[in-house]
Amino acid sequence: MSWSDIWLFLQQGILSGLVSGSIYALLAIAVVTVFKTTDVPNFAQGEIFMVGGYIALFMLLVANAPYWATIIVTLFGVALVTLLFERVALEKVISSRGTPVHMVIATLGLAYVLKGAVRQTGLGDAPRSLPSPISTDVVMIGDAFLTYLDLVIFGVAVTTMALLYVMFNYTRIGKAMRAVGMNARAAQLVGVNLRRVRMAVWALAGLVSAISALLIMPKILITPDIGHIAILAFAAAIVGGIASIPGAVVGGFLIGITENLVGLFVSTNAIVLAPFLAILIVLLLRPQGLLGGKLQVKKV
Amino acid sequence: MISIRKLALATMVASLGWAPLTLAQSDPGVTDTTIRIGLFSPLSGPGMAYGFDVVNAAKMWYDKVNKEGGIHGRKIELVIEDTRCNANDLLAAVKKLVEQDRVFLLNGGSCSAAVVAAREYIERSRVPHLMLNASGDGALYPPSRYIYGAFSISQHALGGSAVQFAAEHLKAKKIGYINHDDAYGTWNLTGARAQADHLGDVQLIVQSINPNISDVTAPMLKIRAANPDALVLTTYARPAALIIRKARELGFNKPIILTVTGTADLTQLVENVGGPAALQNFYVQDVLRALPSDPSLAWVYEMYQQYYPELAAKPGHPQSYMPYGLSSAMAVVQALKDAGPDLTREKFLDALENMTLETGIMAGPIQFTPNDHAALKSAIYIKFDGKNQELIPGSYKSIWEYKP
Repeated sequence: MSWSDIWLFLQQGILSGLVSGSIYALLAIAVVTVFKTTDVPNFAQGEIFMVGGYIALFMLLVANAPYWATIIVTLFGVALVTLLFERVALEKVISSRGTPVHMVIATLGLAYVLKGAVRQTGLGDAPRSLPSPISTDVVMIGDAFLTYLDLVIFGVAVTTMALLYVMFNYTRIGKAMRAVGMNARAAQLVGVNLRRVRMAVWALAGLVSAISALLIMPKILITPDIGHIAILAFAAAIVGGIASIPGAVVGGFLIGITENLVGLFVSTNAIVLAPFLAILIVLLLRPQGLLGGKLQVKKV
Repeated sequence: MISIRKLALATMVASLGWAPLTLAQSDPGVTDTTIRIGLFSPLSGPGMAYGFDVVNAAKMWYDKVNKEGGIHGRKIELVIEDTRCNANDLLAAVKKLVEQDRVFLLNGGSCSAAVVAAREYIERSRVPHLMLNASGDGALYPPSRYIYGAFSISQHALGGSAVQFAAEHLKAKKIGYINHDDAYGTWNLTGARAQADHLGDVQLIVQSINPNISDVTAPMLKIRAANPDALVLTTYARPAALIIRKARELGFNKPIILTVTGTADLTQLVENVGGPAALQNFYVQDVLRALPSDPSLAWVYEMYQQYYPELAAKPGHPQSYMPYGLSSAMAVVQALKDAGPDLTREKFLDALENMTLETGIMAGPIQFTPNDHAALKSAIYIKFDGKNQELIPGSYKSIWEYKP
């Protein structure tokens, strides 16, 4: 491998990693937000993301809807799915004094239901491409090749993260979500409606998943099994600190870049191992994650 | 006492003496007028495209044989099971066909991983099994007396044939090769390496990827940096489309050859790669003898229309793998004929073991030997620009052989 190859690989690995990492970061935010406020690792995250892709595909290819209508229906559709799941399934579990384990199993059930529902439509028989509204022509940054679509994916993802930052820090509902994440009982005592916050959190997770799907699906092709990408979101969340939203962002970008650099400098076989290697290293050196704050010991 | 002992001995000798005849007559699934065959493949679920019309093709061939008087006076009876491209479902279907329906032989399997799962049971129950269109290398090597397959090419032969085409037709000396890091990828890479070694002056640049990969920047950039004369893709449809699209983004303009693992739906492929612009120097492997539109294959598609007029009127039918079902059914019928009127499973297996059959459908003849139960070793290649298909003359054969 020549020096010019190494330089090209570095540039391409980092820039392509930032693009894919921005989607992992968004999905990791969805995972962390739900986990912080409800103590539930959402194992249906990948399928919620996948459903976003198929709603968009249905709107564009079957309903022949314009792109703007597709975006609106996809965002509201996925948010509605997650909101209804929280309202119908999780609230039932909570009111029956269910433990987080019961809720985790409910998310697994949701994953199967969503995947089965998509397969019933017939759209899931073959890998399909979501038409891109943005040009896929190449733009050179340094020696690296990106497309205009890549730039839009990165730009919209970062803008979404900035908006989420504003929401969590400067809006009433965002502050309520953070308060519930810190101490649900204390938040309830000062007048926060837990049920409403939980619903809002799940709807937000759906909304963020839908944005991720709309952004990345024109680039990666849709199948009913595409939800496996959520494993990378979990990896990002763990690397960043499972209860830290800034950590999820850092973790997402790190996983995206690591995947590419490992593929380019080590072996393409090792790409799938890279996120798990990152988890292992972080858990060994900093078990609470990169931005997970100080280790806390709970008395039992 | 002596007379009782003599009687017992005589009974034992008599029963031993009659044993071969008793066994011959006790093979299940055969009567004087019928032969019962268990036909199975995915007829529903996400893998339906691999098997639904393949089963239909086999059914119409058996029906044609029945209409022509059957085989040695026996008509073929079919018991059909849906395996949903799933190992558990396939094994359950095979057990039902063998133990409840008591079929004479099994003819089925379109998904290799599922078929491989049944190998142990089939060997134990000693029922002949001819796959439909599964490559099934895991069940074919090491060879089992009871199992035959790869009617639509084995993974080993698929890789070898693609390298032969790249070297012979495209004059490539340095060949990029992207495969999966699973069993299929390992098998086709073994065949490709054997072919490159056989050719002598051909170098393979290999990148192995996970089938679930979403970002193909790393493998494609490494291939581009190695500057090969051609690129062979043996991946499934989704990674193949991602790589072809990425190749265009990276300005890679050398010939790309996509093997049958990724060509189930060429119309969808054009959409998935972002349009015909990505397919300017692109070849697809096929295992038929010619383009489906070729007059020599017209009878296959006419026969399908005649048997399934309603299905043929629907978009997406016949599915592209449909003709492969005929090839498998033809081999079954030929071996049943060769086994003679006193049909037993052992005679049927003996007939299969040295069979050579020109189907008139596939890229090469079906050739079985005692050491190799994979039917097809050759493939054809088609230049495809997203709209037009142009057949490259000749077929390209893999030289890989199983060595115990």
